[in-house]
Amino acid sequence: MPLNIDWQQILLHLLNVTLLFAVLYFLLYSPVKKFMQKRVEYYSDLEKQANDKLADAEAMQKSLQEKQDSFDRDAAGKRQQIEAEAYKTAEKTLSDAKKEAEKLLELTRIKAEKEKEEIINEASGQISELAIEAAKKVVMDSTSNAYDKFLESAEGSNPQ
Amino acid sequence: MSKKQKCISLIVFAVLICVFLLGIFIVKSPGETETIQETMRNEVLHETVKVSLFGIKDVNPGLISAFCVTFIITVFALIVRIFVIPKFKYVPGKFQLILEEAVGTFDRLAQSNSPHKNKFLGAYVFTAGTYIFIGTIFELFGFQAISSNGASATLPAPLSDINGAICMGFLSYGIILSGGIATNGIKGVGRTLKDFSLPISMSFRLFGALLSGALVTELVYYYIGLSFVLPVIVGVLFTLLHALIQAYVLTMLTALFYGEVSEPAKPKLKNKKTAN
Repeated sequence: MPLNIDWQQILLHLLNVTLLFAVLYFLLYSPVKKFMQKRVEYYSDLEKQANDKLADAEAMQKSLQEKQDSFDRDAAGKRQQIEAEAYKTAEKTLSDAKKEAEKLLELTRIKAEKEKEEIINEASGQISELAIEAAKKVVMDSTSNAYDKFLESAEGSNPQ
Repeated sequence: MSKKQKCISLIVFAVLICVFLLGIFIVKSPGETETIQETMRNEVLHETVKVSLFGIKDVNPGLISAFCVTFIITVFALIVRIFVIPKFKYVPGKFQLILEEAVGTFDRLAQSNSPHKNKFLGAYVFTAGTYIFIGTIFELFGFQAISSNGASATLPAPLSDINGAICMGFLSYGIILSGGIATNGIKGVGRTLKDFSLPISMSFRLFGALLSGALVTELVYYYIGLSFVLPVIVGVLFTLLHALIQAYVLTMLTALFYGEVSEPAKPKLKNKKTAN
């Protein structure tokens, strides 16, 4: 054969490479690949677990948020209710106070008028007394003057 | 180290270099017994230097190299399988990383070139790549064997033997053909046979590349004047480079053609004539 090609040696080379293929496949390629696959599965499992936990956490966060929102809504409702009640109570208190004040004012007014009347009555009594006193005084003064004048005139008509 | 010790070391080193240089030029090289033409011819054809295979048959030294390489790889794989792989960790160490990268590289090569069917291809390209790479580096060690005529013969790279290269070329073609048949049946055979020149081109590319490396190295070592510094570049760097390149080229071509022939045939669309 040209170039010293020998089919028997080619077949021996083939046998050698086939043996090598079997050896490398069973001793190196397959175990290493299996290990790499196992590691990929391990890390993908970890990733899946992490994703699941993340999803759980997100769901929990969502649920908590909903609870928080619901609580906020309840609180706002209650606050509104309480405010309304407080407003109502305040209004009632205010109206009561007004009524009370009006009542007090009325009472005071009545009492003041009564006192006024009493004072007026007392004053008119005093005025009457004063007028009588003054009249008495005037009468007395005029009587004594007339009496004096009478006396003087009497004395003047009798020569000594 | 004191100054005096440094001086003594330098003098000893210089004397040793002088002695070796003197020895090199005084001692006659046995390479001079055959001409460069004879050396080159023997490298290509292996007509004169044969090695006995267990006394059964005289074979090319390349075949002995092939068996040696397989033996070395087998021992290494056994040791790794028994002592290293059971201790693999999810966070790999340096050696584990090298092993995983080697397997992963060929696996990815198979997956990217043949997305439809690649399990067997991955294992094959891993074997072929390892064999070509280790086999080519093997020639660096210069293991000796006793030839049939009693002289010593340096074991070459297994694939610098044309029989080894033909084996790899035809085996790769056979693998490609099997991929075609497994996926597309008779159509796969047709697709593969379309590239009938592939086994020859693969075989001779491998043979040519590795033989040229061997010839250049032989040429450099033949002349004493070229035997300084140059062998470091030619012998080591070139060998490492073409070990990598040839391992990549053959595995890549095999994966590429395998992917092409193992692609499932697309169903033909019937052209319906629409009446206007």
